[in-house]
Amino acid sequence: MSDAVLDLPSTREEAWRWADLGGLAAAAALAPIAAPEADFLDLPGAKLLFLDGKLDEARSDLHRVTLIELGGDEHALGRRATGTGWSLRLDAQAVTHPVQIVHVATGRENHLPSEIVLADDAAAEIVETFVGAGWQNRFTRTQLGKGARLMRSVRLLQPAGFVSLREAAQVGEAASLITVFLGAGGQGSRIDAQLTMAGEGAFVEYGGALLTSAEQKQECAVRVNHAQPNGASRQVWRAVAADRSAVSLAAAVEVARHAQKTDGEQSLRGLLLDRTATVNLKPELEIFADDVKCAHGATVGELDQRALFYMQSRGIPRTRAQAILTRAFVADALERIGDETVRKGFEADADAWLDAAL
Amino acid sequence: MMATKNAEALAAVSKKYEWGFATDVEQDFAPKGLSEDTVRYISAKKGEPEWMLDWRLKAFRKWLTMESPDWAKLSIPPIDYQDAYYYAEPKQKKTIASLDELDPEIRRTYEKLGIPIAEQEVLAGVEGARKVAVDAVFDSVSVATTFREELKAAGVIFLSISEAIREYPDLVKKWLGKVVPQHDNYFATLNSAVFSDGTFVYVPEGVRCPMELSTYFRINAENTGQFERTLIVADKGSYVSYLEGCTAPMRDENQLHAAVVELVALDDAEIKYSTVQNWYPGDENGVGGIYNFVTKRALCQGKNSKVSWTQVETGSAVTWKYPSCVLAGENSVGEFYSVAVTNNRQQADTGTKMIHLGKGSRSTIVSKGISAGRSDNTYRGLVRVAPTAEGVRNFTQCDSLLLGDQCGAHTVPYIEVRNPSAQIEHEATTSKISEDQLFYAMSRGLDQEAAVALIVNGFAREVLQQLPMEFAVEAQKLLGISLEGSVG
Amino acid sequence: MLKIEDLHAEIDGKPILKGLTLSVNAGEVHAIMGPNGAGKSTLGYVLGGRPGYEVTEGSVTFDGQDLLELEPHERAAAGVFLGFQYPVEIPGVSNVQFLRESLNAQRAGRGEKPLSGAEFLKLARSQADALGLDQEMLKRPVNVGFSGGEKKRNEMVQMGIIDPKFAILDETDSGLDIDALRIVGDGINRIMRQPTKAVLLITHYQRLLDYVKPDFVHVLADGRITRSGGAELAHQLEREGYAEIAA
Repeated sequence: MSDAVLDLPSTREEAWRWADLGGLAAAAALAPIAAPEADFLDLPGAKLLFLDGKLDEARSDLHRVTLIELGGDEHALGRRATGTGWSLRLDAQAVTHPVQIVHVATGRENHLPSEIVLADDAAAEIVETFVGAGWQNRFTRTQLGKGARLMRSVRLLQPAGFVSLREAAQVGEAASLITVFLGAGGQGSRIDAQLTMAGEGAFVEYGGALLTSAEQKQECAVRVNHAQPNGASRQVWRAVAADRSAVSLAAAVEVARHAQKTDGEQSLRGLLLDRTATVNLKPELEIFADDVKCAHGATVGELDQRALFYMQSRGIPRTRAQAILTRAFVADALERIGDETVRKGFEADADAWLDAAL
Repeated sequence: MMATKNAEALAAVSKKYEWGFATDVEQDFAPKGLSEDTVRYISAKKGEPEWMLDWRLKAFRKWLTMESPDWAKLSIPPIDYQDAYYYAEPKQKKTIASLDELDPEIRRTYEKLGIPIAEQEVLAGVEGARKVAVDAVFDSVSVATTFREELKAAGVIFLSISEAIREYPDLVKKWLGKVVPQHDNYFATLNSAVFSDGTFVYVPEGVRCPMELSTYFRINAENTGQFERTLIVADKGSYVSYLEGCTAPMRDENQLHAAVVELVALDDAEIKYSTVQNWYPGDENGVGGIYNFVTKRALCQGKNSKVSWTQVETGSAVTWKYPSCVLAGENSVGEFYSVAVTNNRQQADTGTKMIHLGKGSRSTIVSKGISAGRSDNTYRGLVRVAPTAEGVRNFTQCDSLLLGDQCGAHTVPYIEVRNPSAQIEHEATTSKISEDQLFYAMSRGLDQEAAVALIVNGFAREVLQQLPMEFAVEAQKLLGISLEGSVG
Repeated sequence: MLKIEDLHAEIDGKPILKGLTLSVNAGEVHAIMGPNGAGKSTLGYVLGGRPGYEVTEGSVTFDGQDLLELEPHERAAAGVFLGFQYPVEIPGVSNVQFLRESLNAQRAGRGEKPLSGAEFLKLARSQADALGLDQEMLKRPVNVGFSGGEKKRNEMVQMGIIDPKFAILDETDSGLDIDALRIVGDGINRIMRQPTKAVLLITHYQRLLDYVKPDFVHVLADGRITRSGGAELAHQLEREGYAEIAA
């Protein structure tokens, strides 16, 4: 299937400069496979299993999640995800157990919309996992009321194919949105997010670790818009690329004219494990207010050779030393996951990837 | 108290462009508009050989198929390329034997600007300045080049590019368009078709150029674009420091300046290229001013070659400019030091590209953006490391300073790394002049504008200290003047 | 020299000074003491002309001139020096450059010739030596990376170079160890203890007053001077606390 059939922007457009459109087309054309096992973490709360974008009712336990008709957004990816999707709506001050969602794909393409709407002071935790093959495309609209808190963790563990996530969030006054991604499968990916800090004093933390090997390409393209004063945002992303793979991290902070006292921070770091791998970084600042604190740091390089040698001289095999140092590098991006079971699960996935790659 | 002061200063700001006078001099123009005939007219005017005309025409035909770029963070009304003159030449004898024969009006122009076009002069107002050789370009032609004989004795070729095409065709043919290909981008292609004059420098093997070389560009005529072309070739083990300055009269319509600068550094050669760009920026409402669309690129071809770009950008209504280095040579070094100031309605989108191809190549980028008024100031940069480039180092520091709450500061760095041995570090900050800093300096006796100028100069210091002494003084003053009345 | 009458001042509409009256004559050192939040620093900032501090009533004259009409730098040129409790960092601007420009701007304001680079450096070095500030620190950016004590000494070096007629020193003793305190105290005496000059020391503790003997001590409480006396008042305050005395 060609790009033209998919009707996506070309890589000549700035926001798609590093996108793997070929990989996306190839994923959509993959032959079907048998559905792999669903993988829920051992936690109470709702469990939803989507098979090729359709809820598998027998293996799901919805709790407060409902299925409703939802629209996408204007975005090239978001507009495809319309129809029946999942919705988590919480009233003021409501709190739920974690909601776990597993997306299983057997090939071809599937699209699914979803929404997370938290009223004032409500709190929720969501864990999503992608497995299988083919192209899975998701649109998630998040709306956080005053003081609402959302902790979301998403892991991409498809051995092949492509996962594209279009995310649109409105973060209300003093609300907190934390999202952590782990790309530790063999699939290509694009995390494409537009987050608007619509209320004063909002807090957004958005980041993760993308690990690639073989010919794989993963990327994020995130824009955090500070529309109101006194907001704080942190984007912490880590990229590890082996073989001939590529990770691209594009993270932008926009500060509107009157969004004074904004504190925007970006930390983009890339680690190349092989000379044929690629890391692309684009930490962008777009600032229209004068009383703000915005800074970004970006680095690319290899592991510290002195540290590697030091560890070896203490008896640690080189590959193990590499794994330890690489794990520490990745851990920065995962440490924000609040629930220990979830964090441990994600770390185990990252470790498994490192064991295989090193 | 401060608010009143600010209002007064703002009212005064439109008077601050001291270089905005026009010179009344008879000129020959090419017919208005752009066609193959315009290209032939320019080439004929210059008495160019056939190969040069063919080269221009090829570029012109290519340009007709291209579209104006729109990716920069600039809002520019469509430019009517048919509504401008592409060639304006002061009427004077074709070749002048001495400066005495130069049109006194033009001579006075340079005197007023403080540019020494007579050899006994030094840059105005600077004590203990060294000798500086000057190529003075007035609209489309070079009107004077000084110290030629002394440079010739050292083996350095320093003359206008029109003369170089006639006198050193082999050297020009060898390098013209090699660093910036004809089809590189819209404005470079346009320049390749209609470039009128500019500077050519060749520094032979092992020669350290005995003085600073400089070109002073002046746009004078109305409705006229300036398309200069500069080519500097530093042969093995040579060194040259080159400066350029630019001003233009205050006029209500926008004028186009689309230059191409190509630098080539062979083994162990070093080129230091400094720019103080002070084209007319337009008035406080954004009326008039120069569109400054410039392609500057250096090829560090030789091992251990080094090119250092330093720029102080205070002028122009719109600046679109990315002085870059292709670091092909082993252990070659590229540097980019930039201060860009925008005030009122100015827009600047500037930065650099460091393309690392050679092993052990290193680059440093220091960019200081200062936005005031209702202006927008963008740093756009690319650091790319090719798979074969082992042991590359890059350090980038991008700082933005916002003066006032109606302006914008943007940082768009691209980092593309394909070799694990690279060490790439990028840092950026955004800040404003704090009330505390301002009050502290004022409580020590500085008035508000002096306090702002002092703090801004401190902010830009790392870049300013890269400039040759003669220019650093000028640049510091310019920063202060450009920002007058911008802080409340 | 300085005459403050019924001074009322507020920040963000909140009254801080509520009718403060004080006269300082040439040759005198006055200490303003008082509990935290009494308005001590506000007094310093109002006299220095810091934006955001609004005078709503009263007057301040300096040598017969209306001080409140002047811009901060004009006050400096008139001979008023404000020593900051928290000296400000200015990255990229060297101390030498900062001070030379300050001094020459003030000299120009008084119709005096600017000092040459060499004259200035000589002056700066001698002042730095006198205050035990490493000469290297003159080359460093203003206050950037200085310790608390170094910042305060740097303020005194600035005062020595600028040589003002009247100094307002706001908590100059805070952050200083005992040796530094003595050096700073000696500096104040050397630079300012002259028949033509005067000092307003703003301080919470009396320890600096062991080194700089005040002629008058005033207690500032709730925006007003509630009690005045000689040097002995400072000791009494130290012994008995502000609550007793200020009431």
